[in-house]
Amino acid sequence: MCMDLWFCPGPAGRCLLLGEGGASHQFSVVPPPPPPPHLQELRRSASLANKVFIQRDYSEGTACRFQTKFPSELESRIERTLFEDTVKTLNTFYTEAEKIGGQSYLEGCLACATAYLIFLCMETRYEKVLKKIAKYIQEQNEKIYAPRGLLITDPIERGMRVIEVSIYEDRGSSGSSSGSSSVSVSTAR
Amino acid sequence: MPASGADALKPSAFLPVCTATCLLVGATSLFFVFTCPWLAATICPAVPPCCAILFLFVLANFTMATFMDAGVLPVASEDEDKDDGFRAPLYKNVDIKGVQVRMKWCASCHFYRPPRCSHCSVCDHCVEDFDHHCPWVNNCIGRRNYRYFFLFLLSLTFHMVAVFTFGLIYVLHHMNDLWKLHFTVTVVVISISGLFLLPVLGLTGFHLYLVSRGRTTNEQVTGKFQGGVNPFTQGCCNNMEYLVCSPISPKYMARPCKKSIVHVQPPFLRPELDQQMPMKVGDNGLHTLALENKLLKASEQQANIKGPDLCSGFRESPVRGIHQGSVSVQPPLQPNTVYSSLPLNSRSLALKHSCRYGSKSQLPAMQSDGWRSSPPRGIVTSSTLLANQSSNDGPPFNNFINPTEPQLMSQRGAPSVNFHSHFMMLGSDGSVQCPPPHSYSPVFMGVTRQSPHLRDSLRDLVSQDTTLPKSAAARYDNFSKTIMASINERRELEERERMLHLQARSQAHYCADVGIYDIPSKRSLAPDNAGPPGSRGPTPPAYGSREFLMSTGILTYGMRTSPLSNSSTLSLTHGSKTSSSQLQNCSSSSLQNKGRSSSPAYCPSERQTQAVPSSTSTLPRLTSTNSSAPPYTSYATAKRSSLPFPSEGKESVTLGALK
Repeated sequence: MCMDLWFCPGPAGRCLLLGEGGASHQFSVVPPPPPPPHLQELRRSASLANKVFIQRDYSEGTACRFQTKFPSELESRIERTLFEDTVKTLNTFYTEAEKIGGQSYLEGCLACATAYLIFLCMETRYEKVLKKIAKYIQEQNEKIYAPRGLLITDPIERGMRVIEVSIYEDRGSSGSSSGSSSVSVSTAR
Repeated sequence: MPASGADALKPSAFLPVCTATCLLVGATSLFFVFTCPWLAATICPAVPPCCAILFLFVLANFTMATFMDAGVLPVASEDEDKDDGFRAPLYKNVDIKGVQVRMKWCASCHFYRPPRCSHCSVCDHCVEDFDHHCPWVNNCIGRRNYRYFFLFLLSLTFHMVAVFTFGLIYVLHHMNDLWKLHFTVTVVVISISGLFLLPVLGLTGFHLYLVSRGRTTNEQVTGKFQGGVNPFTQGCCNNMEYLVCSPISPKYMARPCKKSIVHVQPPFLRPELDQQMPMKVGDNGLHTLALENKLLKASEQQANIKGPDLCSGFRESPVRGIHQGSVSVQPPLQPNTVYSSLPLNSRSLALKHSCRYGSKSQLPAMQSDGWRSSPPRGIVTSSTLLANQSSNDGPPFNNFINPTEPQLMSQRGAPSVNFHSHFMMLGSDGSVQCPPPHSYSPVFMGVTRQSPHLRDSLRDLVSQDTTLPKSAAARYDNFSKTIMASINERRELEERERMLHLQARSQAHYCADVGIYDIPSKRSLAPDNAGPPGSRGPTPPAYGSREFLMSTGILTYGMRTSPLSNSSTLSLTHGSKTSSSQLQNCSSSSLQNKGRSSSPAYCPSERQTQAVPSSTSTLPRLTSTNSSAPPYTSYATAKRSSLPFPSEGKESVTLGALK
């Protein structure tokens, strides 16, 4: 799937871009205003170049853990420590979500007692942690990965099987003199 | 009820569940209406309320078991599938608590099934921790709803026992009123409950046993852990605790979409750039790493061919090696490399041009079978240029020096993942020694097909600070795709190398030691490599697995005859998405075979492809070859062959079958 990321240096120096059409990363497409002619050569675009998939680590069983091994494709894109921190934090989140303890007991008993009607109004603990994870991934994307041309996809969208890291590449200046007509979104799906 | 799956939505699929519902609700209602008043009056007024609560519990669990998503895994996206390629093996081994467990490729869902996951043919999806497909609830029982199913069974047992017992008490007390309505109805109710009590009791007992052993129905029926150790059990008590108290895992399908906006704006930060300017052109025309990395990545990623991934491996190494010296390393660039709008001086442009030629030759080189000296020539050339160019900074080049490399090359005929051979070998006196090239594809093809875990082991080797770049191991399997086309490119490659040689000489004024630069040609190869390709066969690289060694030995010979006809490596491929059910015998076209289906004709040591007529016959075959398959120790045992275990299509074990 190839996605053109169009943006131009606006007044704030940043522009919105679009991302993939995945379930959770529904980025909005905002066509940039046509830049003044002398700035057109500075228009940059990034396109999806590659995807790296971080697989699950099943060495401890079927509990949700991801491999912290640093993939070679990211070798020149991001510092190893940053990436490993992200994965380790995600692993911590998942361990917390799957922990069998007081809260899970309570949840089970309450569910039984209410004939599982409680699920209609209450969010399970796992779902709460998933929301935390989504927020964390969003924050990591904004602060660390997007500046490096990477994007992390929430593993829940892939059935918790992989962490998908999209690698974007700088396509360089477009050099196009046309304005809004250069804005394009192409989705493969 | 499952959301999708042709079979599950057929009218006939609803028959058992409707029958079960009618029987349950109907019989219990009759019990409450006709029997309970007398029970409340005679025995205890608490009897009906207790029975009602129990019945409510039964209904709740029945509803949850019927309507809850069992843990359906969504189908993998195409991008993820592409990673494995056409010739990825059918099985992947994974080590779980010391036990080797096999992950099978799911042809329908396009991913390797996680451990304990199985594909339900009735519902046509993969389910996590798949237990069985229950026709009485017309739903798969898996990770998310196994608890409800188990509690349904348990509560149903108690409920049926209660109904039967109280009904019997009533009947025994009313033997005089044989033909009264209440009596008749109660007799009917107790006969229904009595009839189904034994099977339900048996099933409950069976699942109690499974929980205590930490197995799923699927695993029990297929005999997976009969002879061996079950890595998934945590002991009887912990298993029970997990069953009852574990948090409910989330639904994977049909999740609510969240919109998020993320700014991704080039120029991108690079690891070494955090402290540097994005672009710096030195006085001598050298570029900083920032530019190099950018260009490196640009060139690496823009082409869709897998060659660049290989290049990236070696490119990263010089970057890593020399970053402290801020030596500019000009990576070989793709012809369509797009540079940022950073100013470049003429010398660097010229360098880029030379490297471009180098890269052109390098890519096909990567894709060729690599036995010849051609592949790394361009790479070495460009690296040489760079090395020479920046030889002013002598010390940083010590990083390039890898004294073990020449030895490695001389000892091993086919050092498969040794990308450092691309680099110039600088002797301690600064003289450039051009390392011989090495082969990639034949060995990697074998590794790809036969030993997926070898990829991991290779990666592990890489990560253990060997001289093996990671991307090579990660991308070796992609060479097999391009190898078909690259045979002709070898000739082009040689021509380009000649051009490059000329270019190199024309760039001599950039290099301090241009005199020692030389394109590695056949004459510069290590003596071992200069021999016939077969000479590499007997000296396989010493990478952990025996399979890797075997594949190397066999494949190199096989490759000699025809690079495209590699039968042994096709036995496990899972081919294209539109797979037929048969693995085809090798041919030059069969490199893109379509054997990815539920036909595990995996012969790790035999390396013979066999046409698999049907998936049902593969298990016996599989078992027969298991003895020679070292990674599969306890997972699939002989007992498996004794069971006429069908493929995934039939592994949906019904309650009826268990009764």
